[in-house]
Amino acid sequence: MSETADQWGQLMAAAQEGHAAAYRRLLDEIRHWLKGFYARRLPPAMVDDAVQDTLIAIHEKRHTYDPERPFKPWLMAVARYKWIDRLRSMSRSRTEELPEEIAVEDHERNVTSSVILARLMTELKPAQAEAIRLVKIEGFSVEEASERTGQSGSLIKVNIHRGLARLAMIVQKQADVE
Amino acid sequence: MSNDALIDKLVGDLRPVPRPRLGPQFVTLLILAVVELVGFLALGTIRPDLGAALGRAAFWWKMAGLGILALIGVNVALQSFSPVSLPRKGLRRWGLALTAIVLVGVVIDVAGQGLDGLAARLMWRMGVECLAVMTVLSVPPVIALGYMMRRGAPTDLEASASAVGVAAAAWGAFIFAFHCPSDDPFYIVFWYALGCAAITLVARAILPLTSRW
Repeated sequence: MSETADQWGQLMAAAQEGHAAAYRRLLDEIRHWLKGFYARRLPPAMVDDAVQDTLIAIHEKRHTYDPERPFKPWLMAVARYKWIDRLRSMSRSRTEELPEEIAVEDHERNVTSSVILARLMTELKPAQAEAIRLVKIEGFSVEEASERTGQSGSLIKVNIHRGLARLAMIVQKQADVE
Repeated sequence: MSNDALIDKLVGDLRPVPRPRLGPQFVTLLILAVVELVGFLALGTIRPDLGAALGRAAFWWKMAGLGILALIGVNVALQSFSPVSLPRKGLRRWGLALTAIVLVGVVIDVAGQGLDGLAARLMWRMGVECLAVMTVLSVPPVIALGYMMRRGAPTDLEASASAVGVAAAAWGAFIFAFHCPSDDPFYIVFWYALGCAAITLVARAILPLTSRW
């Protein structure tokens, strides 16, 4: 990967000078890397949006990359920032609207694919982790999650909000959780 | 929009960009500081007893301490606008420098005046005036550094905003120190710390909102 990353650094340096072909190749390769990055950290239904959001961020902030330094840490930092942003926006979004958007048939696959997210969630209180897992990852409604856990609907929402805020804080503090 | 379409759009929008360099940003800020200092002193604000003050250790402690805190703060803030930076480490460095400077101030204070009449030495009316002017003088650096923060890609917005706050506060206090007639370490630590805290809190509350990306 370091060789690839060095190559990406050269492509980005060329892109900073306006070389469109190098830039196209860079973005094309990065999007696959980003897809893998977010697949381990977000529910599957959010991965594509996160990839696109990060590609736009890379475009807008490309002037902050220093070609004298390795490219991978820069890319990781941008991707992680957008990941935290996603976690925060998950807590801000109305949970009632989420199931239809993110529910997928294979709940088991959802849980295992977001492996780093799942590992991070072990650092939350069990009630918070359960509420997030059911509503935000597995796609249950707040009412369904309430029935399954015995928590009231409002408590489910509070636990989701606090749990995601804590997750964002944990990620912010960790240099790398890969 | 598909990923392919997005990449087409981004490539179509590609323009050359300058590479990140701290030098030009430092120069810009230095020019701003000089203009602000000259403008402030042109209002006739320079302390009348400056000649006498030059012979006091407390005066040099005040000026050097604030200058060092402003320089470290600006450096931490500028570094923090890169996504790969760890501004909390830099803020800890700034905190250590502050602690060392305050300790030196305590030594100068105890050696010079002892600990008698602390409340009277605060000179509340003048202190509040110091606080107000210092805050006004911190506004230009907050705006300049806030703009640079917005252009950059800080990934720890709260820490970057705090770095901007402490840098701007120390900067404003440094310029104000050319006017402030007090060289009493107790007075300076109390009022200047209040001013720095207020400016830092405001920066921390506002800048993360204006610099989200």
